[in-house]
Amino acid sequence: MGIVPVRCFTCGSVIGDKWEEFKRRVKAGEDPEKVLDDLGVKRYCCRSMLISHVEVIDDILEYFVVKGRVKRE
Amino acid sequence: MKIEILEKEGEDKLSFVVRGISPQFANSIRRAMIAEVPVMAIDDVYIIENTSVMYDEVLAHRLGLIPLKTDLDSYVLPEECECKSETGCSRCSAILVLDVEGTGEGVTTVYSGDLKPHESNPDVKPVSDKIPIVKLAPGQRIRLEAYARLGTGKKHAKWSPVTRCVYKYYPVVEVDESRCDGCGICVDVCHRDVFEVRDGKAYVKNQLRCDLCGECVSRCPHDALKAEWEKNSLIFFVETTGALPAWRVVVEAFRVLAKKCEIFLSQLGELGVV
Repeated sequence: MGIVPVRCFTCGSVIGDKWEEFKRRVKAGEDPEKVLDDLGVKRYCCRSMLISHVEVIDDILEYFVVKGRVKRE
Repeated sequence: MKIEILEKEGEDKLSFVVRGISPQFANSIRRAMIAEVPVMAIDDVYIIENTSVMYDEVLAHRLGLIPLKTDLDSYVLPEECECKSETGCSRCSAILVLDVEGTGEGVTTVYSGDLKPHESNPDVKPVSDKIPIVKLAPGQRIRLEAYARLGTGKKHAKWSPVTRCVYKYYPVVEVDESRCDGCGICVDVCHRDVFEVRDGKAYVKNQLRCDLCGECVSRCPHDALKAEWEKNSLIFFVETTGALPAWRVVVEAFRVLAKKCEIFLSQLGELGVV
């Protein structure tokens, strides 16, 4: 997926707003299982949404950030 | 019929036991909750400018999926509104505006909180302010006007007020103490954590968690277990997207059903049957 889905594909509860905290805390070395529990993401459908997500849009946007910098220079 | 609240977690989650209800009736309520109770969602999006990496239709789709706080008392379904106009009037549609430009050196994330309700409908706003909609590089810009309307889940899942909305049989788990020798197999085998062993006997500690899979009954070497259900008793679990409080979804589902019955009866009346 390009950017984190707004809702869980299976049950439809909102998970998009939990992604940034999830990513930040897991990157800081916390156990993903604990972070998901903390965030109140209970069902395994919603949990899989966050665990398996790769934010591809960040990779794409790098090109546009560089493009803008080159243009300004 | 007897109703007993089991658990209430905030406004959004509710579970309750209903005694004296048939599964057929329970199912019609469940289906009404999922597909017939109206909530607000963004429907039409007028995109004025979009230089982001996301296509217009993907953007509009993401906007549609953002649950909006719904005031069911002040809005009506567009098909039931007197205005009959395409864009709708103040009774049947609400406007939200998004206008964000990528600034600085890095990436700007556009959040649902950036969706600003029009001054004529200040209360129609996203349930959460932190849902990422799109990300912008410096100079990229999004300007759009979104029209939110009431709708029902049978037309599109974005208009469904609930996420998890299910019922199950009321489980009754019994241990025959004269047969049980406390071997603990049921504790190991149960994936719902129903049993515990105390003083050489198995006890039921979480009866309502049981989902009646029957694994404990078939694996018990002493034939000491019974897992059955109470006839005509069901446990409901209702969890909403946040657009409406859970209790309101249940109430509205009953209203929808009552309205349908009224229509049915009046039709019969017209035919001269009643």
